[in-house]
Amino acid sequence: MLTIEQNEELTQVGPGTPMGELLRRYWYPIAFEQDFDRKPSKTVRLLSEDWTLYKMPSGKYGIIGEHCPHRRASLTYGVVHEDGIRCGYHGWRFDVDGQCIEQPAEADNENFRNRVKAKAGVAETMGGMVWVYVGPSPAPKLPRFDVFVLDGVREVGYATLECNWLQIMENSVDPHHVEWLHGFYFNFLGQTQGFEAPKSFQKKHMKTAFDEFEWGIIKRRVLEGHSEADDDWAIGHPLVFPFYMRVGGQWIDQMQIRVPIDDTTTWKLFYTLHHPEAGVWEPQDRPVFYEFPYKDANGEFITDYVEGQDVMAWVSQGPIVDRSLEHLGRSDAGVAMLRKMFKENMRKVANGEDPIGTIREDHEVIHLPCERDKFGAGTAFTDQWITGGSMRYSPLKEELLHLHRTAAIARERAASGS
Amino acid sequence: MVDPRLLPLDPHKLPPPSEWFAPDAERHLLDKPGFCPSCGASFDLGIVTEYWLADDRVFFSWCGSCSWTGNVIHVERAIIFEQEH
Repeated sequence: MLTIEQNEELTQVGPGTPMGELLRRYWYPIAFEQDFDRKPSKTVRLLSEDWTLYKMPSGKYGIIGEHCPHRRASLTYGVVHEDGIRCGYHGWRFDVDGQCIEQPAEADNENFRNRVKAKAGVAETMGGMVWVYVGPSPAPKLPRFDVFVLDGVREVGYATLECNWLQIMENSVDPHHVEWLHGFYFNFLGQTQGFEAPKSFQKKHMKTAFDEFEWGIIKRRVLEGHSEADDDWAIGHPLVFPFYMRVGGQWIDQMQIRVPIDDTTTWKLFYTLHHPEAGVWEPQDRPVFYEFPYKDANGEFITDYVEGQDVMAWVSQGPIVDRSLEHLGRSDAGVAMLRKMFKENMRKVANGEDPIGTIREDHEVIHLPCERDKFGAGTAFTDQWITGGSMRYSPLKEELLHLHRTAAIARERAASGS
Repeated sequence: MVDPRLLPLDPHKLPPPSEWFAPDAERHLLDKPGFCPSCGASFDLGIVTEYWLADDRVFFSWCGSCSWTGNVIHVERAIIFEQEH
């Protein structure tokens, strides 16, 4: 259990809070490139602040505090220029750094104009998404994690969840929930509702471990009938600090993204790359994006698929779970380690140091460790994941099943020499 | 109910008395480790997260002063497990 004060420190993401200051040292995806195909500006919310994200005629993006410093009108309804944005209300113009550079109706007075500066960040595109950094300068490099930049078929399911982002992150260092929520509970639903739940999630955990590494925490497990030589232990998969989890298996590689919109809202994305060995696919201009449902018409959670079960657990904990009432057990050791990592990096930021995962060098791609043979399920895993997870809502579902099945056949043929 | 005067000064707001966990919470706040076993600094600068391991209460502790990290286990009886022999 934590005290209420400790819980508040770990969950409040607004400006000036210890966690808010830490989280402002990272880049976040906050929109899709196609959001700007018809309009050049959009209001986005991130870390309890409202922002105007805009696309300039050159194709570059900028981000500025939504409300004009003059009379607080929304800059989202402004005029986008090549070097910034102009408020639609009285024409005050701001450069990409938020500095006011024109005040048309005012006496030409540099002193006044120079004193007016809006909060601003920087924005870039990667993997079909618009990423922003709203922390102090100089901005670190946008981390080019493998899933976002490697070739393959990319599709992204997303939903806006009414809960604090930290309870989703704590789920990422909680391996036992797989056996129960996605195994035992899923099987119970299958038995009572007449479908077959995926077997690969039902295996018992014999051993779990957590290792800190340069990007966060690697989670390992040995399942019943497996050994430490299997991928789930030998490689594992990482929680990537502070808001991702990387998972994968059988050439489905996924980055789970939890964007802290504010204290009680999280934008949850499953960014998935399909690139099976021996598979053939057409190049994509952009990933396919789709919203996955997690409540039915009655407002009840949809729990007959893996991620729907996760969402039920995260959201049903409450908007901000009261950790003064929790009872942690030994299977929660990873949760304790994650809280320590947050606290440790809050201190680094307070001391003026870069927190874990800050990258300041140019780079092509960051490869993350992630198991290939997931749960020892072989190629059956791809079918189970696509049909039993949020990918069942993907507009590409049938194409993905075909891609992985034909690639598996091609691999088998190649292996047998036929 | 624990005498409120015995509770730590810092600022542990407890669950409402109506909550079933409240009396237990008081005890947990009273006997959690307060100081780093390595440098002696207060754990108020770090974080102590308690979890249960069978009968043992384990405090996963990180010192915000010297970065010492380790488990502190509350012991009521020293138990020794013998090797096979």
